[in-house]
Amino acid sequence: MNNSLAVVVLASGVVYGTPLLFGALGELLAERSGVLNLGVEGMMLVGAVMGFWTVQRLHAGTGLSLAAAVGVAAVAGAAMAAIHAFLVVTLRASQIVSGLALTIFAGAAGLSSYLGNDLNLADNPAAHQFNPVFPASMQNWPIVGPIVFGQNVLVYASWLCVVLVALYLTRTRLGLNVRAVGESPAAADAMGINVARYRYAHTLVGGAFAGVAGATFTLAITPQWVSGITGGAGWIAIALVIFAFWRPELCLVGAYFFGALQALAPELQARNIQLGPTILWSNALPYVMTIVVLVFVSASGARRRLGAPAALGVPYVREER
Amino acid sequence: MLATPTVGGPAFHPRGRFQIERRLRQPRWLTVAVPAGSLVFAFFASGIVLLATGHDPLSGYRQLVDAAFVNTGAIGQTLVSATPLAFTGLAAAAAFRMRLFNIGGEGQLYMGAITAAAAGLYFGGSGGPSAFAITAMVVGGCAGGAAWALIPGLLRAFFKTNEIITSLMLNYVAGYVLTYLVFNTESYWRQTTGFNASVFPTSKQLPPSADWPAAVIHVQGGIALPLGAGLALLAAAVLWVLYRRTRFGFEVQVLGDSPRAAQYAGMRTRRKILAVMGISGALAGLGGASQVGDFSHSLDADPNGLQKQYYGYAGIVVAALGRYNPFAVVLVAFLIGGLQNAGNTLQGADFPSGLVGVIQGLILFSALGGELLVRYRVRFARRPEVVAVEPA
Amino acid sequence: MVERRGAGGAPPTSAVAMRGITKRFPGVLANDHVDFEAAAGEVHALLGENGAGKSTLSNILTGLYRPDEGEICVYGDRVEFHSPRDALDAGIGMVHQHFRLVEPFTVAENVVLGDNSGEGRRFRLRRRAIERQVADISARYGLHVDPRARIWQLSVGEQQRVEILKALYREARILILDEPTAVLTPQEADVLFRTLREMAAEGRTVIFISHKLHEVKAVADSVTVLRGGRSVATVSTAEATPRSLAALMVGREVSTTERVEHERAAGETVLEVDAITVQGERGPAVRDASLTVCAGEIVAIAGVAGNGQRELAEAIAGIRCPAEGCVRMRGRAVRAGDPRAAITAGVAYVPEDRLGTGLAPSLSIAANLALKAYREPVASRGPLLRLRRMREHAVELIERYRIAAPGPAAQARQLSGGNLQKVVLAREFSGKPQLLVAAAPTRGLDVGAIETVHAYLRDAAAEGMGVLLISEDLDEILALADRIAVMYEGRIVGEFAGATADVEEIGLAMAGGQHPR
Repeated sequence: MNNSLAVVVLASGVVYGTPLLFGALGELLAERSGVLNLGVEGMMLVGAVMGFWTVQRLHAGTGLSLAAAVGVAAVAGAAMAAIHAFLVVTLRASQIVSGLALTIFAGAAGLSSYLGNDLNLADNPAAHQFNPVFPASMQNWPIVGPIVFGQNVLVYASWLCVVLVALYLTRTRLGLNVRAVGESPAAADAMGINVARYRYAHTLVGGAFAGVAGATFTLAITPQWVSGITGGAGWIAIALVIFAFWRPELCLVGAYFFGALQALAPELQARNIQLGPTILWSNALPYVMTIVVLVFVSASGARRRLGAPAALGVPYVREER
Repeated sequence: MLATPTVGGPAFHPRGRFQIERRLRQPRWLTVAVPAGSLVFAFFASGIVLLATGHDPLSGYRQLVDAAFVNTGAIGQTLVSATPLAFTGLAAAAAFRMRLFNIGGEGQLYMGAITAAAAGLYFGGSGGPSAFAITAMVVGGCAGGAAWALIPGLLRAFFKTNEIITSLMLNYVAGYVLTYLVFNTESYWRQTTGFNASVFPTSKQLPPSADWPAAVIHVQGGIALPLGAGLALLAAAVLWVLYRRTRFGFEVQVLGDSPRAAQYAGMRTRRKILAVMGISGALAGLGGASQVGDFSHSLDADPNGLQKQYYGYAGIVVAALGRYNPFAVVLVAFLIGGLQNAGNTLQGADFPSGLVGVIQGLILFSALGGELLVRYRVRFARRPEVVAVEPA
Repeated sequence: MVERRGAGGAPPTSAVAMRGITKRFPGVLANDHVDFEAAAGEVHALLGENGAGKSTLSNILTGLYRPDEGEICVYGDRVEFHSPRDALDAGIGMVHQHFRLVEPFTVAENVVLGDNSGEGRRFRLRRRAIERQVADISARYGLHVDPRARIWQLSVGEQQRVEILKALYREARILILDEPTAVLTPQEADVLFRTLREMAAEGRTVIFISHKLHEVKAVADSVTVLRGGRSVATVSTAEATPRSLAALMVGREVSTTERVEHERAAGETVLEVDAITVQGERGPAVRDASLTVCAGEIVAIAGVAGNGQRELAEAIAGIRCPAEGCVRMRGRAVRAGDPRAAITAGVAYVPEDRLGTGLAPSLSIAANLALKAYREPVASRGPLLRLRRMREHAVELIERYRIAAPGPAAQARQLSGGNLQKVVLAREFSGKPQLLVAAAPTRGLDVGAIETVHAYLRDAAAEGMGVLLISEDLDEILALADRIAVMYEGRIVGEFAGATADVEEIGLAMAGGQHPR
């Protein structure tokens, strides 16, 4: 039973979905503060390459190396995000162009490849990698075995992050403040909330999450470095935030859904199941569905309850005259 | 839903000593000096990155300029990169002028390539370049790109769905369609005869009459100016006239500035959105047709080929740097094309891969920062003579 | 008349003192060495025309702007506000004219937002505790509102109560209200004034910003008058009269806008609004409203803002489509929801939102003057624009209407409020319309500009146009209108003849007193 198509696809869905989830959570936080960051792909790649580099160069035990690698990846992602934050929050530049510039700067034909080549990271497998946490016996349990217990610690950490982000946004004072910043920065400012500081903070944290997402690729999924290893995951993460109506719980559902779709095509091929255009559909479905969700939200006027933070994408200026 | 990014207002968080306020008038010289200045700054900054990683920036730059413009055949190669960038740049400029953020140039280029290739395969025959076949390819390319752009256009016009995400998502769909047509199915575009066909999927070669001619300029050993490059220049001129001198362009200006004023004045907003998205998509699609007709002579469906060039996204960068002026966009496309070309040719120890992206990114960052100087003035305010005391 | 109580004999403590405050914006000196002082336990009004610098001064006091020069003292101590946070910490609370509320949040969430002490200081939000506290405060001051309601569900008056609750929750010692009665009926305003007097009696300081003389007389103990960015005088309201205050506001003896009688008989019907119902953001905004305007007459619609006037105007101008009923121009039905059809039928519309709807701010004045006429031969031939002709036409209009502008190529956003309005009016008039719909045309203008606009409206009527004037300013309406209709909750609830109208009756109708049941 554990070898059935469904179980395998779902288990792989969790694997592929984890970087999507990290990326989406980060972007969700940034967007909740009103900053659209299209540079997720670039931030992920930089996190991936720096995390990989740490694990290759740091001569320490597995646990410490991996922990350090994740930390470095987070910092690298945040550093990339800082550029975007500076441009859009302080200099009031266009968020779209800045995000795209970040992707170009840091992405597959940019800084990440530059570092990967310069540091000679290609061709070698990772010195350490994340392995499943639970013993093999538990992994063999029917259905839940591979899907739930067959995962590495990053997956479980992502679950914890979903809970933390959800609680943060809905139950804490800071979460209320950041939601206000994203909905109505004028109101937040008048209430003494430092709009710029919240936007910086959340954009940087978003970058950190993206960095960790990238490290998931090079340290867990395919533990090696290849230029452009994330393969568009950053863009899917952006779509995922919308698909999830800016809610962390739904990000989890969506991430695994998209991940499962990604796993579906190669599995079908491995089993020699030819379903013609299915390949096209399973690849394209996440994107088409995001469009459908978006149309639904904008057309139905459920905007108020389900929609984006109202001030998303708009620079905030206090002394507008 | 996603509010369109606006030009900000006057001041800064006046925490520091300086204040930033909006300029009332934008001096002409600034609009040229600042982009030029940001270019200089960007090269300076990349030089630092090179130095920091143990490379020699000066030799790197010299090689760059040589490979881009000076060496024999360099300009020809540069035009290969610059032509698609000009089209996607114009596509982005056409849409962004009206605050329609068409990020889908990438996918619209693929679609244009698909339809143009079909037209070429169908109408082409043996013999020299046929005006009929080429015209069919041009029309087909424009139609394919325009149709793909009309999807986010219709969604925006009728459902107010934000076009940024919809056009972005469709890029991926287009990419999968492109790959699918040759790699996963026996379609019209796929080579089905011959030895290789059964071993590895390839796309059909276009017949010779569908080859786009190139004008040869007898300089520097002869530069081939592809038809696409000429078409791009023509498109830039048409776009300029359209936006500056016609009623259509007037309405686009008003709509871009204030959609409410446009509605108030009785302008047909929906039609404009569809028309502008159509024009934008057609330009990108024409870029795809040029790819097929000028350069690849078949449909490049390889996931590591056309789809890794990111002409569509780079086009947005080009358009932003050219401040959405059609002629400036073409010029910038040429320069960035040179950069891409150099990046491709020079991969090696002195010129690490990824440097092109770094330089492009830095140029964009400094241009974005430079924008601030064009629109705002930095002023040093007199600090009030007060010493802050704990408020009551 | 609201009762007034003295401070109890002791000399008043200075709560707020602003000295020599100067603030510049690009192109305008908003505050010019302004002095302002308010005592604890008093209601102090800040009076001035639109553009006199009142809002700027209050924004400086609340930390939103920083003064270029001058100092601020709160209870005798010098302070420097770097941000609204500092002002809030100093005990200053503000009720803005345009509410600073987060729409999707509840009342309780808005009240506790950004609070650094009390419940807001906690890391974890305790919803029920906050809601209970909000309910307590709202009961104590009679500001009834459901703490769990979301802002977008509330009426404008209720939203204002939330703004006041925000300040009270923070135990603001100094409360600033910016034109609070703009969204209230006369009766609601009285309730507000009573609340403000109670707060003053508790020892708080209330600073009341207004341009309405009778309000200032009714509620304030003293008043500081601003004119042209300078503080002109500070007087006790007991000693001042509306005339003297008006004189200080304007700098010369001026009579309140007088009615000019004319011998014009109304011509044939130009506009006929036939039982239209129009949807607004929160349900039907206009219900079963009918109205006629004849050539050569000025019909005014009176009412507190937010009772459907904007939606009515937009329906007539074709920007909104009525759900029921129809609009007829000279007997012929105009295609609904189509601005171009309305324009062709002869409707000219001067919207209240000049810079947002009536003009394209980044485009040139010439372009804006051609905004509706660009399809005419004056501006284009076939698909091509005739740029030179457009510029000449603009120069002509600039001269004729005496618009103060650097030139036809200047950006519209550079102009002052009065000149913006002149551009809009010039454009609308030059189209030779049958009907002119003017929504709040004099809002935010100085007295000179107001007189000019009134002159234009009278000229329009004299030339045979029908004029539909929508305004909150009863004085303006009484001076200009031949007929007055009152809108309340989307319905036309009263019609009066302009010459014999009684303010009391109109006020009653505005508050729903004549609601037909």
